[in-house]
Amino acid sequence: MTCICNWWNDLMSNPIWFYLIATILKLVLMFAVILAFVVLSVWIERRVAGWIQDRPGPNRAGLPLFLLERFGSKQKQPLKDVLHFFGIPETSWIAKLCTWLRFDREIPTFGLIQPCLDGGKLFLKQEFTPSYVRKAYFIVAPMLVLGPPMVAAAVIPFASSVETAYGTISMCVANLGIGPLWIFAVSGLSVYGLTLAGWSSNSKFPFLGGLRATAQLISYEVSMGLSVIPLLMMFGTLNLQEIVQFQADNGWTLLPLWGEGLSLQRWAMLAPLALSFLIFVTCVFAEANRTPFDMAECETDLVGGYHTEYSSMKFASFFMGEYAAMVIGSAIVVTLFLGGWSIGFGADAWVAAHCGPWWAVTAQFCMFLIKLLAFIFFFVWVRWTLPRFRWDQVMKLGWLVFLELAVANIFLAAAVMYFIQ
Amino acid sequence: MFESALCQIIFYVFAALALLCAVGVVAFRNPVTSAMNMALCFGLVSAILFGLGAQFLGIIQIIIYAGAILVLFVFVIMMLDIKAEEHSPASWLPAVGGTVVAAVFAGMVMSVSMNLPGAKDGSCPAKTLWDNIGELSLAPQPQQAEAPAKVTRFGGALPALSPAAAAKALNPDIAPEQAANATTYPDVKLVGHTLFTQYNIPFVILGFALLSGSVGAMALARKYRKD
Repeated sequence: MTCICNWWNDLMSNPIWFYLIATILKLVLMFAVILAFVVLSVWIERRVAGWIQDRPGPNRAGLPLFLLERFGSKQKQPLKDVLHFFGIPETSWIAKLCTWLRFDREIPTFGLIQPCLDGGKLFLKQEFTPSYVRKAYFIVAPMLVLGPPMVAAAVIPFASSVETAYGTISMCVANLGIGPLWIFAVSGLSVYGLTLAGWSSNSKFPFLGGLRATAQLISYEVSMGLSVIPLLMMFGTLNLQEIVQFQADNGWTLLPLWGEGLSLQRWAMLAPLALSFLIFVTCVFAEANRTPFDMAECETDLVGGYHTEYSSMKFASFFMGEYAAMVIGSAIVVTLFLGGWSIGFGADAWVAAHCGPWWAVTAQFCMFLIKLLAFIFFFVWVRWTLPRFRWDQVMKLGWLVFLELAVANIFLAAAVMYFIQ
Repeated sequence: MFESALCQIIFYVFAALALLCAVGVVAFRNPVTSAMNMALCFGLVSAILFGLGAQFLGIIQIIIYAGAILVLFVFVIMMLDIKAEEHSPASWLPAVGGTVVAAVFAGMVMSVSMNLPGAKDGSCPAKTLWDNIGELSLAPQPQQAEAPAKVTRFGGALPALSPAAAAKALNPDIAPEQAANATTYPDVKLVGHTLFTQYNIPFVILGFALLSGSVGAMALARKYRKD
């Protein structure tokens, strides 16, 4: 035991091994969170869609208890036995609640298993590749859609840093000095996947879908980059960890209620920042290719868009890529505008001082996940509320409205920062 | 030790791959394959820049070249449906012209890289970049800082690159201990600082040239309506 402890101590005292092990652990955590959230957001999408359309949505995919009979259980209703074991009468409210939750028939999962079953179905389906496609690009394209959002996640901080005995661990995979730019650059690369999918399918509608995706992504990336400039003027840094620390100390970008956020300048800055938020969120929707901006796959004019010819797991890669882009988009909005991991109202410092750094980091991580879930809910809400734009309207909105607004917004923010001290 | 060795390995691996992709741009017949090779080449070059600590330049390379310009190339290639290239009869005139142009560019790149700090004594530029932290020292050395830079045939050695030197260049009043503790290279601030102070007027003129260029392109592409 002491031998292992000493070995571990020696290993971690070496800064290179310490860095490697910490990075790999963070990498695994970040990957697990993203993939879990991809599955979770599919479920949220369906349940919220059902809710908004006044129907239950997928709520029945539980683990049915007749499986127990298959495995040799002679009991018909284990719930009755369990209640009897604890001495609870069958007419009590606990028993009624259990019956309402369908405990007598299944182990309820509220439909959470549905996305997993869908994944299994897509794995087992026949993989059909049409004979007329350009094979190499046809196979590479789905990977190019799924990969970039995963890589882009590397710079998103999910908690503050921890001082350990061996060194400081900053809770984001890569603490780069160019955070938002990294995300714009890498997530912008997924356009290659869409274009190549459309082109290599060698048929009309996918091709049109691919071209639309290219035009749309390029157009909205410009306004997206310009819209964050007022924020960067306020933060004075491009490092996402420092940006979130600033918000933890001085009030979230859109909620300046503590620290230096109570100054007149910050409240006057709310006008340009709110405009930034509007433009940025709309551009994130457009980048994620979701309704009301899903021009590249809109079924009314393009059959299925760029993934018309795809089936089975290749289609699933596109599907997962879209949801991963949505998760990353939500994460960057939360990080830039809604305080990232910060708990708010100066609670970060209080928790760190009173409960210890590891509890603080855990609380911040949970706060980040809660904010992420809330924004994903907002994403889904918009999808099922707004109808799809027409293609020319999308282009007009990007080039004639948002670009001008974003540029004017920079000057507005500069004026506020200069005149109101 | 470890860092400089890693820097060298990263540099040579990515440089070799980038050269391979650059050859691929010319060698492949299919225009889309060529374009994809070019995208890969840009990515690898930006990886080299990342390895040198110039993160901002690397990411700008990806955003502008791989993310915007090359996407437009691909867009145009696909729109016009350019077919795979046919063999054309080789002639010696374009070959000689191309060689001359390539030689001029190669000479230019050589002259720049020979003037990089650490290039003369055979050490990797990246290594010098990180080793300069020690040289910039913890104690202020005014006489050394004011000594005239060694003038060579190509206009003098480039200033040393290091986080400490960069921190000092941005803020001359910074304490030497603080400068020596600077671990990351603030290249965003440094690029902005250089562009908007030393080269402000050329920068503005370039901006106007680009603006007039895009307005001209719009004017040429616009369809005049009869009414």
